[in-house]
Amino acid sequence: MHTHSENSAARYGIVAQLLHWLVAAMVFVQLGLGIYAGNLPVSLARLKWLSWHKALGIILLALVLLRLAWRAFHSPPALPAFLPRHERLLALVVHALLYAMLVLAPLSGWLYASAAGLSVTVRGLRIRNLVERNPGLAAAFHDTHVIFVVVLASLIVLHVAGALRHALRHDGIMSRMLPWRRT
Amino acid sequence: MTGSFMTLAMLLLANPAMAQQCMHVSGARIAFEIIQDGAPFSGEFAEGGGRVCMDGERIISIEAWLAPASVNTGLPELDAALQEAEFFDTRKFPRVAFTSKDIETAAQAYIAHGELQVKERTVPTSVPFALEPAPATTRISGSLTLDRLALGIGSGEWADTRWLGAEVKVSFSAMLEQ
Repeated sequence: MHTHSENSAARYGIVAQLLHWLVAAMVFVQLGLGIYAGNLPVSLARLKWLSWHKALGIILLALVLLRLAWRAFHSPPALPAFLPRHERLLALVVHALLYAMLVLAPLSGWLYASAAGLSVTVRGLRIRNLVERNPGLAAAFHDTHVIFVVVLASLIVLHVAGALRHALRHDGIMSRMLPWRRT
Repeated sequence: MTGSFMTLAMLLLANPAMAQQCMHVSGARIAFEIIQDGAPFSGEFAEGGGRVCMDGERIISIEAWLAPASVNTGLPELDAALQEAEFFDTRKFPRVAFTSKDIETAAQAYIAHGELQVKERTVPTSVPFALEPAPATTRISGSLTLDRLALGIGSGEWADTRWLGAEVKVSFSAMLEQ
């Protein structure tokens, strides 16, 4: 029996789909957590929410790296021939930037936490610090983290807009990532 | 230890007329470490002082203080929060002070038994310390672990030790000057 775990020429396999939707859901939670907690005054609530934000960030980074590794060995389905050249180019650029920001946003957050002396723990497991403690560097990594997150959020808007456009056109491109569609 | 006694003895010999003599603390460095969310977090107090009094070769008393308002964790927002009533309440209590009642001489070091005063609380505290000769002076250093909850530091919601540990490791060093 064919399990659909592999990508086919027409659609993504279940592993790629699962990773895509898991990362998508976690990114939304992560954005909400970061914006909410980052704007709280110093309090136990801020400490708790930011601890979860940091832990989720490490898990997200691991998942994104896993996604990239899976993608490297399992080519995504090719875009259909009817797609104009500029749309292919746009898709390529947005996807490449999305992957880059999905790595850089958590990585810069991890660097920020390290430089601020606030190590990350994931369910009691201490994650190593990437850099020595340095308040000046922490401020710089904080700003970098915010910039990457803003770029990531903007790319997500473009990505979702693109997906919806394909859905409205019924060109089959969005359904390649939908687990319940069998074609 | 013999060396530090020698240094202290030499310092005393410079002033043979006085049997009892006090040396002042300078260049105090007071650092602390606490566990937050399972990982150590550290900071320091920039301002502190005190004096060590001797009678002959014997240390008879130690007084020390630090200004909690001088706390530096590298995170300005946190430093500001530590000034508030739930932590050091620095406007009402600008100093944390230690006064010895008895000095015990141990194998390689000393232990100052005394009282630590933090805000309105006075808690019996023992402070192990060592003396070592340094160029033209004597260096005092030591470390101890305090229970912040017993001292009333981090009350209210901050008393939750799952997120902010109860134990605070404190280490200090300073020079003793005439």
